[in-house]
Amino acid sequence: MTKRDYKKEFTIDMLSAVEKPARYTGGEFGSVVKERADVRIALAFPDVYEVGMSYLGFKILYHILNRMEGVAAERTYAPWVDMEKLMRERSVVLTTLETKQALAECDLVGFTLQYELSYTNILNMLDLGGVTVLAKDRAEDEPFVIVGGPCVFNPEPLADFFDLAVIGEGEEALPELVTVYKNWKAAGRVGGRTGFLQAAARVNGIYVPSFYDVTYQEDGTVQAVTPNQKVAQPVIYKRVVRDMATVDYPTDPIVPFMSIVHDRIMLEVFRGCSRGCRFCNAGMVYRPVRERKPEQLRQLARQLVDNTGYDEISLFSLSTADYSCLDPLLDGLLKEDFKDERVSVSLPSLRIDSFCIDVAQKVNSVRKSGLTFAPEAGSQRMRDVINKGVTEENLMDAVSAAFTNGWKKVKLYFMIGLPYETDADVLAIATLAKKVLYKYKEVTGKGGAMITVSVANFVPKPYTAFQWAAQDSLTEIKRKDMLLKEAFSRVRGINYQYHESKVSVLEGVFARGDRRLGAALYKAWQQGERFDGWDECFKFDLWQQVFADCGLDPHFYADRVRGEQELFPWEHVSPGVAKAFLANEYRKAKLAQLTHDCRHGDCTGCNVCQQLGVNVVDYTGQMPAVASSTLSAAAEKVAPAATAAATTAALTAKEVQPQ
Amino acid sequence: MKLRLQITKDRSIRFISHLEYARTLMRAVLRAKLPVAYSEGFNPHMKLSLASALGVGVVSQAEFVEMELKEPVPPAEAAQRLRKALPAGIKVLTADAVDDHAPALMSVAGGATYQVVIPATDADQISQAVGAFNAAASLPFTKKAPKTKAGVKEIDVKFYIPHLEAELFGGKLVLRFDCRITPAGSMKAVDLVNALNKQYGLALPVELADIERLDLYRVDDLGRHEPMLAGAR
Repeated sequence: MTKRDYKKEFTIDMLSAVEKPARYTGGEFGSVVKERADVRIALAFPDVYEVGMSYLGFKILYHILNRMEGVAAERTYAPWVDMEKLMRERSVVLTTLETKQALAECDLVGFTLQYELSYTNILNMLDLGGVTVLAKDRAEDEPFVIVGGPCVFNPEPLADFFDLAVIGEGEEALPELVTVYKNWKAAGRVGGRTGFLQAAARVNGIYVPSFYDVTYQEDGTVQAVTPNQKVAQPVIYKRVVRDMATVDYPTDPIVPFMSIVHDRIMLEVFRGCSRGCRFCNAGMVYRPVRERKPEQLRQLARQLVDNTGYDEISLFSLSTADYSCLDPLLDGLLKEDFKDERVSVSLPSLRIDSFCIDVAQKVNSVRKSGLTFAPEAGSQRMRDVINKGVTEENLMDAVSAAFTNGWKKVKLYFMIGLPYETDADVLAIATLAKKVLYKYKEVTGKGGAMITVSVANFVPKPYTAFQWAAQDSLTEIKRKDMLLKEAFSRVRGINYQYHESKVSVLEGVFARGDRRLGAALYKAWQQGERFDGWDECFKFDLWQQVFADCGLDPHFYADRVRGEQELFPWEHVSPGVAKAFLANEYRKAKLAQLTHDCRHGDCTGCNVCQQLGVNVVDYTGQMPAVASSTLSAAAEKVAPAATAAATTAALTAKEVQPQ
Repeated sequence: MKLRLQITKDRSIRFISHLEYARTLMRAVLRAKLPVAYSEGFNPHMKLSLASALGVGVVSQAEFVEMELKEPVPPAEAAQRLRKALPAGIKVLTADAVDDHAPALMSVAGGATYQVVIPATDADQISQAVGAFNAAASLPFTKKAPKTKAGVKEIDVKFYIPHLEAELFGGKLVLRFDCRITPAGSMKAVDLVNALNKQYGLALPVELADIERLDLYRVDDLGRHEPMLAGAR
């Protein structure tokens, strides 16, 4: 959409014709409208409103940025296909919800990279917002396009489209970046776009893709990533908040009119997780664990309830049952702070063992809706391969406790296609699920348990132990699915759910892709591809054709075993975790050896704390000091297969809270 | 006591649904810390109700909400507290208090005043149609009724809307009218436009109709309009 001819208004007939029009009209309680600002930044979520509004990261950044003098942070979301069609027919531009600025009129447009399948939406939103899609073609007066979020640890497939990336946590980095922008703008845009990018690149954690040249070997792998500007650091390390108590937390978030995915207070109890599951990207890129104190959390909870009118608080983190002060926090909230109010507390992710069933009871005392556990793999060997560290006994104890206490519905999450997986491991999923089903009969003396088995396809991610592994091919995934289908046939009481394998292939390609994929993204978007994560929009055949047209081989990215010495396309952007540590984890996976959680034990040598100068913050005991060991020493210090993980670990329970 | 308020649904939030509007009010009541009563039982709900559902997309100067309070709060104070707790698109115009046994606000509304603004150019055709409408004894119309077996329902538009006022300027037709509300129901303002199109061969673009509810009122035994609330603005 070109700048000249666009209109800004969603007319009555447009809003009447689309589903969920409240997605597009804003005006929510708590939204911040600043008509005048020196710097206007659009926080752009590349999915629909109800998904984007549930994202904690933007709640935090919206709050922090809007507290800055002269800075206006506004929101924009991907219009659903019905609205996009009308916008294109009538040349209506995508604007922010607050002051209805076209994206092209903002100073900065910041996208969050939550999952690979939203990448086409980024191109589409830029275009709908009147912003030139390709970064190199952007005019002097156009906004700078920023990316951040979890997938920023391999931003390369999007390198053609963004101007700069914020690597890691944005609470401190983004205000610094905005200040640099403000000064550059106030000084008369010194040096033009490149001038700003150079100034931005001096801010720690800021990555400017155009400041790096990538060369490739004959076999297609990356040969070198070389800075072409003096200011460009060879490796951009992530930004990390040292102490969660020092950064501002939003106590007056926007309260939407329409129902959103997580329609409740999100209270972040800690950041990071060091359980060390070998498939898990979040567990690596959000290190180290940093807790907030229960007293602070209770104060925040009080303010959040008062300011929002929500009656539910979700204690949010990657693994809330691991919070060292969970018990005192729950007691403080439920028995003191909110004992006379209709406020409930829920845990989005709870590792279940006998201790945790008490927690489940506390937060869910009346209604007995489903519990969700994530053993992730069916056999013990496989769970050790992925360092899940959970035993069958843990699971049986957890479900026994749940069934004894009145729960009837259990959902079990598994993955197939993990490295070193055999058919026996796949079939062990069915065996384990059946044991859970029989457990209900044993415990309650009657039938009627409802077990849902949800099986996802494993997708190897950058900065995990499995970043070298090949993803299962489409035929292999389908074959394993058939094995499970067969094993579950004629089993009453188990509902087997399986994820679309073709979508996983695309996810796999972009997760570990390089800059050359930009051509495919551009072409697929031009041919109408968007909302790839939504079944009704995803067109696998189109993607196949696009890859072929661009001379790109999806198998090269998804199901190729990477060499030990291979230079990955993402290594110049780093969460601080040492490659040697990951390589060692991959070796230990093959041997089914466990690595313990460093949160309460010795340093396991991932090198994040040493590299970034941060500490684990855990209020169980003392705060460990920064280890002074060097990278190589730390990597050698890797603990032998620890049993600590096996004894303390349990299962994840997602959504303990009833619907 | 029961607290009654006249509130608005402004242009900026006209496209939020009735359910979303009601939930927004409930959250505002919690933010305002009004001592609202809840129902008994396993799944208690806030004792709060709206006088009449408004179609999605319709702006309103006259929404009426009623809530039961466990302990009395002066209406003016309650209104002031709510104003701070409501999003910009909902304004509190009037507040009033009645005792717990007063008949539900929902049951007393007798009619509503609407304004519909819609693009139109042919002044002659429009004035003829409006004249004919006002002179007609009845105007049968088949409205959509999704909840019924047939999916449609025959109504007489003139029973609900006896009289129309129309003005045309700047390429826009402005219609103003009162629409009766009975215990058995009412009719949608947009269906007036549909009925005019059908009966008089007008081609008013229904999808662009800008509809606003200007008032909601009680009707006394003599047919006179009485305000819903006793409280002053």
